[in-house]
Amino acid sequence: MPEIFIDNKRYEYEKPGKVLQFMLDNGLDLPFFCYHPSLSIPANCRQCMVKAGMPVFDREKGTFETDENGDRVIRFFPKLMTACSLDLADGIVVHTHHTDDLVKQAQADNLEFILINHPLDCPICDQAGECPLQILTYKYGPEGSRFEHKKVHKPKAIQLGPRVILDAERCINCTRCVRFTDEISKSYQLSIISRGDKNYPMTANDQEFDDPYSLNTVDICPVGALTSADFRFRARVWEMNQTPSIDMSNGKGCSTWLWTRDNMVLRVTPRFNEEVNDHWMPDAGRLAYRKFNENRISRPHMRPDETEQVRTSWNNARLTLLEELEKVSPADILVIGSPHASVEDNYALRTCFSRLGVSKFLFVPHIESGSGDGFLITDDQAPNANGVRSLGFEETEGKALAKLIETKKPRLIAILDDDLIGRTDLTREHFSEAWTVVWGTNHNDTTQAADLVIPVTTAAEHAASYVNVDGRIQRTVPAKETMYTNRRLNLEMSMGRLDHYGTKFDNWVTDANRVDCIPAWEFLIRLEDDGAASGWESSRQIMEEIAKAFPAYREVSYDRMDEENGIQLKLEQDSEVKTA
Amino acid sequence: MAETYTFDAKDLAEIEKLTAKYPEKQAAVLPVLWYAQDKFGHSDPAVQKLVSETLGVPEAHIRGVVSFYTQFYDKPMGKNVLDVCTCLSCQVCGGYDMLHYIEEKLGIKAGETTPDGQFSLQSVECLGACGYAPMLQVTNDKFVNHLTREKVDKLIEDLKAGNKPEFESNPMPQHEKGS
Repeated sequence: MPEIFIDNKRYEYEKPGKVLQFMLDNGLDLPFFCYHPSLSIPANCRQCMVKAGMPVFDREKGTFETDENGDRVIRFFPKLMTACSLDLADGIVVHTHHTDDLVKQAQADNLEFILINHPLDCPICDQAGECPLQILTYKYGPEGSRFEHKKVHKPKAIQLGPRVILDAERCINCTRCVRFTDEISKSYQLSIISRGDKNYPMTANDQEFDDPYSLNTVDICPVGALTSADFRFRARVWEMNQTPSIDMSNGKGCSTWLWTRDNMVLRVTPRFNEEVNDHWMPDAGRLAYRKFNENRISRPHMRPDETEQVRTSWNNARLTLLEELEKVSPADILVIGSPHASVEDNYALRTCFSRLGVSKFLFVPHIESGSGDGFLITDDQAPNANGVRSLGFEETEGKALAKLIETKKPRLIAILDDDLIGRTDLTREHFSEAWTVVWGTNHNDTTQAADLVIPVTTAAEHAASYVNVDGRIQRTVPAKETMYTNRRLNLEMSMGRLDHYGTKFDNWVTDANRVDCIPAWEFLIRLEDDGAASGWESSRQIMEEIAKAFPAYREVSYDRMDEENGIQLKLEQDSEVKTA
Repeated sequence: MAETYTFDAKDLAEIEKLTAKYPEKQAAVLPVLWYAQDKFGHSDPAVQKLVSETLGVPEAHIRGVVSFYTQFYDKPMGKNVLDVCTCLSCQVCGGYDMLHYIEEKLGIKAGETTPDGQFSLQSVECLGACGYAPMLQVTNDKFVNHLTREKVDKLIEDLKAGNKPEFESNPMPQHEKGS
């Protein structure tokens, strides 16, 4: 196998590639700014310089030349090479800052150049704490500044587009954002303008940076030049918890990080997943974090008579639902699953109502034709249409459902978290003759029309699985506490500094941020009169049961989903799935 | 932008000829911008948009190119554009003195145009004539070398009268006979 020597240590490589990427793959450190594994390689920051050379080959003898010690004679490139653009070659010798003083000096000097016009904004800069320039300067840079002159000033706080703000002074012209719009989102909206020390990225004249993927440039910006208009000045990164999750705003299910502080989700960023979204995600998915915080249903709501909904106790909600269920025969119950709810919750709904004798389960996919773009935005607006379908829920359309209710006149309608009135042809009148129970996360037209509303957890509060448009099952991890969960007790939840070192009585802890809700399955098992007949204690157990019951889910488990970043299911319905 | 710019059939044929020389459209940006600037006198945002649409190259890229070169004018300029070099060699030989002298004489700052539309003044980076420093270039054309105040006075008088400067041959010392 071809070999490479980095800092006098031998490594073997299989596939051709670049030295920098090889080093990163092997956990070696080398500073860099402009390189990004998913973008082209311009080698313009010059930060990843290494000393490199090839062994001298004696063609006549057919062997490598050796010196008196028997070591290979190395012919080094006359100047330092950028590791990001240097191809792996059999026998190549690379010296980094660990073994070569020239490289060390070059890295420090290069950083000094990059920092010459970079403002000392860190205390007020959003990037601080997750800033490659800041980190690498601590690690490799010069200790102080020798620059005594006035720095070049450029425009600050320009609203580049609806979601991105540019601070041109901080820009180090790595061109990652430009390459992103040219190579990934293909909107070609950015370019570096002007030249020399005056240049910075900009859109065309009078154009907005309204790319539907614009916020990815904020992620890949190695400095605080591009910041998110929404997240700007909201929180320091070191105060937040980071929890792996998936995007709920469309059918692609991009892998994400949820960033929380004081039980509020403050931002969503993409998490690398080779199989789904690479390093990217659409802007819409990031702004969907509001759904986790705002307009949440807290405590069960019910409508005692034809008046307004009132809050009620969990016990009363449970007893009321049991009472209503006793009044009707199974044939008069209409159960509607949800592509917005998880596999586990839909399964629990099905199991629970099957026990009562209900045999037909419906769901309405949430498709908006034409909204997809073939990349990470799909026509499907729900994260779990394939999941519901695979559990045996029958697919129907809004119009067909309306007609069904009009003709069959069910006496009890049970809807899992889905705003059917808001998004389909159903109206409040459809619920007028039936008693309606809705499991909901946020107040919407459907919950307002219901007779009983059970508040349930969002993807940010429970561990549950979702199957995306391509049939890949992925799961979430709780990021926000509810009234009934606790970070310290649920070992799956992440703990930030404020959680570790704070107490309940600190002024940065707001009890009101914890919503009074439980996962839908937890409420559903309470309806079993013989007391938790299903025996579920966690959504993990439900998934184990699903894995046994449904061939498509064979060998699916939380551990495997965590290990492999989701599992591709072999769904029969795959051919029907619209992938936009 | 009040004015709209268009290429007529003849222009488009010329541009077709220019683009045919290159394997990619993007490579033709510079010659096409030159063509457009020759026709319209400048490359302001409206012209950039026209070039972008004609070539099918992103507008942001065209803006990047125009703003990179001082030779492309991103706003309408005077009849004569004086590009005074203030890069290193000219600077040490008095480039800024010349620039400030012209600023005083014309009553405008670098980057501005005289109210009568006769002159625009720019301070530019190296034009590659360090041997004849200090120097300036007139409207992306002839160089005026070894500037002195008298030479500047004469140049401005000539330009006002409509006379463009002639090409001036400046043999380098090492090329002169006997050296």
